[in-house]
This record gives sequence, structure tokens and C-alpha cells, in this order.
Amino acid sequence: MDVANFIKYILQGTVYTLGVTAVALPSGLILGTLFALLAVYGGKTLKQVMSLYSTVMRGIPPIVLLLILYFVMSGEINLSPFWAGSISLGIISSAYQMEIVRGAILSVSAGQMMAARAIGLTRMQAIINIILPQTLRNAIAPWSNEAAIIIKDSSLVYALGVPEILRRAQLIGASSGSYLPAYLTAALIYFALVFASSRLLGLLEKKLEIPANP
Amino acid sequence: MKKGLILLALVILITGSLLGCQPEAPLEQTSNPPSSPSKLDSINTAGKIMVGTSADYPPYESVDESGKYIGFDIELMAAIAEGMGVKLEWVDMPFDSLIAAVQENKIDLSISCFNYSEERDQQVDFSEAYYTSKDAFLVAKGFSGTIAKPEDVVTLKVGVQSGTVQDDWLTSNLIDTGLLKEENLSRYERVDQAALDLQAGRVDVLMLDEVPAKNLVSQYEGFNIVLSAELSTGPLNIVLPDGDVALKAEIDKQIKALQDSGKIEELAQKYFSE
Repeated sequence: MDVANFIKYILQGTVYTLGVTAVALPSGLILGTLFALLAVYGGKTLKQVMSLYSTVMRGIPPIVLLLILYFVMSGEINLSPFWAGSISLGIISSAYQMEIVRGAILSVSAGQMMAARAIGLTRMQAIINIILPQTLRNAIAPWSNEAAIIIKDSSLVYALGVPEILRRAQLIGASSGSYLPAYLTAALIYFALVFASSRLLGLLEKKLEIPANP
Repeated sequence: MKKGLILLALVILITGSLLGCQPEAPLEQTSNPPSSPSKLDSINTAGKIMVGTSADYPPYESVDESGKYIGFDIELMAAIAEGMGVKLEWVDMPFDSLIAAVQENKIDLSISCFNYSEERDQQVDFSEAYYTSKDAFLVAKGFSGTIAKPEDVVTLKVGVQSGTVQDDWLTSNLIDTGLLKEENLSRYERVDQAALDLQAGRVDVLMLDEVPAKNLVSQYEGFNIVLSAELSTGPLNIVLPDGDVALKAEIDKQIKALQDSGKIEELAQKYFSE
């Protein structure tokens, strides 16, 4: 088998890997940030619901939620394998990202909120203009961890037949009989993606750093 | 806290129903009650049939580097779709996911070297067998003994291709039981080497799949199949949605037509003989 074609076939799966990540990571961030705000600033009931959500979602293996969404709940909603996979990963990631953002909110000193209220901002204005900008800066470092996890977990959608990197490595391994080169190629691609994403986020973190608030 | 409890109950319920549905078909999940319309109608309306396969099992199903599906099952299904007059759309999935995908209507049917089994039959239906591979016992010119049953070979020198299902069968049924002496079994890497030794008289009988055996009979003068039997192999069936009688009838009709026209035999020659 032609080596160039072999690698090219597996490499084509990167589109799906990046696609799943591009859906799961931002949707997890939006939901996670929202839930974190509810968990910190919400009432007693909301706090408890958010805490339960976080505990349950972090306790379910992504593959289980993915199979539930695709096979079990298929009567109510008919999702394509790609969307079922991306949404499940997004939901699970939202729980992790909620904890990341919650930690970051709590790391902003309480005095900031008091000062903001003192100069006449409403609670909502204070959260949006004072707390969140600092929070999200602080969250970038732990968040790059989550990005790496999502890139790697995106391989799980192979169980639904999405032809991403891992599934392609399996198929080409079977037809050529060279499993080791196939899986090594897949491993290298994942490594390159994770390495590139953590470098980019590292640069972003540097750029957004507030000099007076190390 | 009340909301929390409801959510927790919901999660337990979902997880419970998931666990429950694997071993036996749960009552509320008879996916196709007799009154429901047949899949055949929606296939004909859409003009295409969605077929699941796990394309990692050559020579039955695999992909080439361009991502094209190739193999015995693949070409057979293409012929079935052609006979039905619909387009064929392949869906690749890991083998474990295929039955669930048929049950949940994610695909219309699945062909992936499935053997009928009772547990599977409770969850889905099976077509008639489209191919039954048999084992053949092949001898050369001048063979004077008789092989009426497989155990008759124990007094002879036997040849087999190593790593095949026939090798497994001989090893566990004749060698491990002490009926056939280890030194009387020759394992060959390739079928053509085994055939040359059979011709030269170094072994008395070869056990191999019937399709390549027939091939050898046509290539070597005096070669003869003395016994064919289903020992190491079995029938292959297409997996269909549970209780969909009309679809099963149509698929069975197409399989029958391809058997009668010799198409299946031709594909078997193409993929299973060296």
C-alpha cells in the first residue's frame, strides 16, 4: 500500500475531529459560564441544581451519554451521528467548564464586587463588566486542559460511525493489515492537534495578561 | 432540592432502561409492531437504501485507500440494491453498534458477515442465508481410502492452511482430542503450497473452504472433493428490523435471484479463492 495514500486517508479524519471540537468546546464554554454564574450568584435552589448537574455530568462517561443520545433517545429526536456526538461531548464538557469558570470567579476578590456596587453599577453590570473579564482571563490556563481533553475525546464519535481519525486508522489497518503504523499515525495527528491548541491558548493567555494583576 | 431529585430520578431511569435493553428485547421497545408501515415503503419512496457495515473485515467488507467500500458483502449488497431498483448508501459503524442501529432505525438493514444467533434473533430479524461456506475434503488422483465422515481422516496425512477456521476445527476436534496425531497434520502458509504437496502425495487429504477447493479441482487433474460439510463455518445472514415482513420478503427474493443467477457463486470465487 502506498504510504502517502495511507497517511492521507487517516489525515482526512481530522476534519471530523476538528468539527466535533468546534461544536463541543464553545457550546460547553457558553453553557459552563452560564451555569457557573448561576452556581455562584444564583439562589439556594439554583445552586443545588447546578451542583447536582455538575456531579452527575462529570460522573457519566462521555461514551455512555453519546450512546444514550444517539440510540436510546432516537425516537424523540433524530440526530445525525456527528451532532449526537458533538452535543454529548458539549454537555459533559459544560460541567467541567462550569467548575473551571466557577473557580475562576471565586478567585476574583470579593472587594471587586463591592467596589463596583459602590460606584453605582448594578449587580448584573458588575458581573458583566468587572467580574467576567477577569474571570475568563484566569480561566484560560485550566481551559486549555479542557480543550486538549475534548480534542482527544472527540475520537469517541467513532462508535456511531463518524469517520474521524481513529475509525479511519482502524479501517485502513484492517484492509492493509498494518495496524501499528495506522494507530501510530492517528496518535501523531492527535498529538499535533493538542500541541498546537495548547500553544495557541498559551499565546492568548500572554496577550490578555493584566500586568498589574499577575 | 425537589428539582434535583426529579433530575436524579430521570438519570436513573434513563440509565436503567439502557441497561435493560441489551440482554432481552424489552416489552415497550418492540420497534416494529405488525401494524406499522414497512421499511420497504420508505426505502422505495426515498429511492435509496441505507446499509450498515463494519468495514474492517476483509475479504467480506473493507475500504481501500480512497475510502471506497470493497468486498464480498459489499458487492452482494450492491447487486441486491440494483435488483430492488434503489440507490445504495453505506454507513460504516463498529460491529457492536450495528444491531442497535438497525433496532433504532438509524439504518435500514445491515450486512456485515453476521451469523444467525438466537439472542440476536430476539432483537432483530434475519434474512435467509445468502451464503453458506462449507468445508471440503480434497484428495488427489489415486486416493484409495474412503472419507464418509470427517473423523475418517484420522488415519491419513492431513493438510490445512494455517490460521484458517479449518485449522481451528482440526486442532480442537481431532488433535486436542487425540484422534489425529500432531505429526500427521501439515499446516501450510498458502493454499497453493498445500495443493502441490497433495499432488506430490506428501499429504493424503486437504481440508479447506469449498470455494477454493472447487477452484483447485478445476486447476489440477484428478483432484476430487470427497466430502463437503458445514464444520468450521456457517450460514451468513442479513440483519433486518424486527417484524418487518415485507422488507424480509423483498430481501429474500433478491438473494434467491442472485443465487439462481450464479452471481453469489461468482462473487465467492472472486473473494474467497486465492
